Amino acid sequence: MDVALQQLVNGLTIGAFYALIALGYTMVYGIIRLINFAQGDLYSVGAFIGLSMLSLLAALHVRNALVLTFLGLVVSMAATGLLGVLIYRVAYRPLLRSPLSILISAIGASLTLEYSLFLIYSPSFLVYPSLFSTGGPALGGIVVSWMQVTIFLVSLGLMLALYALVHRTKLGLAMRALAINQDAARLMGIDVNRVIAATFFIGSALAAFGGVMTGLYYGQISFLMGFLAGLKAFTAAVLGGIGNIPGAMLGGFIVGIVESVAIGYISGRWKDVVTFAILIIILVVRPRGLLGERVVERM
Amino acid sequence: MRTLAPGMLLVTLLALLAPAGGAQGGPIKLGVPVPLSGGSAEAGQDILNGARLAVDQANAKGGILGRKIEIMSADDACDAQQGVTAAQKLVDAGVVAVVGGYCSSAALPESGVFHTAGVAFIADASTNPQLTEQGFDNVFRDIGRDDQQGPFAANVMVNDLHAHRIAIVHDNTVYAKGLAEATRTALADKPGVHVVFFDAITPGEKDFTATLTRIKSLKPDVLYFTGYYAEGGLMARQFKALHVPGVFMAGDANNDPTFIKEAGAAANGVLVTSAPLAQFLPSAKAYIAAYRAKYGHAPGPYSAYEYDAVNIAVAAIKRAHTTDRAAIIKAVAQTRDFKGITGIISFNDKGDRAGVNYMVLEIRGGKFTAHHAAA
Repeated sequence: MDVALQQLVNGLTIGAFYALIALGYTMVYGIIRLINFAQGDLYSVGAFIGLSMLSLLAALHVRNALVLTFLGLVVSMAATGLLGVLIYRVAYRPLLRSPLSILISAIGASLTLEYSLFLIYSPSFLVYPSLFSTGGPALGGIVVSWMQVTIFLVSLGLMLALYALVHRTKLGLAMRALAINQDAARLMGIDVNRVIAATFFIGSALAAFGGVMTGLYYGQISFLMGFLAGLKAFTAAVLGGIGNIPGAMLGGFIVGIVESVAIGYISGRWKDVVTFAILIIILVVRPRGLLGERVVERM
Repeated sequence: MRTLAPGMLLVTLLALLAPAGGAQGGPIKLGVPVPLSGGSAEAGQDILNGARLAVDQANAKGGILGRKIEIMSADDACDAQQGVTAAQKLVDAGVVAVVGGYCSSAALPESGVFHTAGVAFIADASTNPQLTEQGFDNVFRDIGRDDQQGPFAANVMVNDLHAHRIAIVHDNTVYAKGLAEATRTALADKPGVHVVFFDAITPGEKDFTATLTRIKSLKPDVLYFTGYYAEGGLMARQFKALHVPGVFMAGDANNDPTFIKEAGAAANGVLVTSAPLAQFLPSAKAYIAAYRAKYGHAPGPYSAYEYDAVNIAVAAIKRAHTTDRAAIIKAVAQTRDFKGITGIISFNDKGDRAGVNYMVLEIRGGKFTAHHAAA
């Protein structure tokens, strides 16, 4: 029983990271029907900017772990969010009306980010400072660190806040209107570009949060870390029903848990085979994902 | 299709020109394929540094045959495909011999390219047995083989650590899987010893808690990880965090200082099976000092073996008295009792180093120290 619960904890931890990246995929898709392949790489960028910030603060003799983490997160999320907006402005906005070209542009953006990190930072991996101990609440035979608890709760909180933003605010209303019909939304006086830019900012900032937390929790980051994580997160978004915010969260946690269970009870070598086989079965039964696509079909 | 013909012509032209270029009066080129990007880039850079140091020293003494030696590096990223491209690039550039390599998954396909081109290839770190079992007369290595390291590791686990329940984790790469299987085979002969877990993790991932949770439930005395340090350091850290019982032991791709940086406090007490590191070899003292003076940091685990490999190649070219690739292969094969900084080196018929040693490193206080057997 302890083993099963421990695997659940492991799965929820990995799943939280997938979910954070998946939210960006789902928001962008929901609004402009674009699979933003750069999403996983924005997660890497977030991790690297966070590391730069931590190093800078360490050079300024800031020692308090919480202050370091808070500033690292805020700066990284803001900078990565702006980078997301910049990518939209440069690589996507001119191509909004050509769905195939914009996809290629997204792949280009992804590779550009990966190899910029490669050239600017390091061709190898970098090591984060370890700020927090591995201690945690006593739960019998199950090992959970406070860090894991924090990652899980804060991720959940961010996702709920995002859900509230989309469903309870004026900006959210504009986003939903845009998802249904861009031209009609424009005629209603919605500043389409500003709303899409806001969407990119939020999605990128959430990925950056995941990136910094990855560095703090696992201790190691590399320029290609976003590739595999992005792929899994994309799967999670599709599984939950792309365009659907609670779906992305659910999808992320499910992919994480299925992976852990596959390793724990079948084999690490077959993990990806098992994981994707299960996902294919779910999608065959529910082609629109577990919670369905929320956006209204155009035409 | 139309572009194919000129492309082929160009390749053929290059292939024709390259060896000719090497025979003229310019510098003699030695090829060094190593990972300069990806998880093992640190190790690759150290190896390249070792090669450059050896060449600088040889050039200071006048070079070979009155010509300077030049190192030409190529990034193989520990990847089979990129390795083949890197190898082809070196061959086309007219290198007279190749010294280097880190990951077996790249070195194996590279050895095929070098064989076809008829260039000597002396590996400094690639330990997969297959490398010298292909019947290629041009392939050598001055490091041990995993079917020697596996039995050594098995003996340490059983005789020194008195382990009965052993978990083995690899990462499905050529090297890691080979070492894992060699260790499992060696353990099969030991009475009362059970390999309770044998599985792989995925390189490039960061979370191995699911695998470790399963291992924890099997209560191992030793976990032997045979992959590379990028994952090894993370795994050691998660091993401690999850309170997995037993000793964390790792193969010789974890003898890199970056492992310790990554694992942090969890590195303490980790054992690593390894070919002797330079700092434990009295004969390598001058080398370490020269390396530090030039690069400002410790020489890494394999650069000393690369340094020897370069010097073996240089000595062979001197003996052959030509830069003809075939003659160099013959001269390298005749290497006997070469006084290297990692010991006396002779190549056997397969191209393997005769009489290799292994040692157990123990990480103490953030450093690799020699582990002294309890019994």
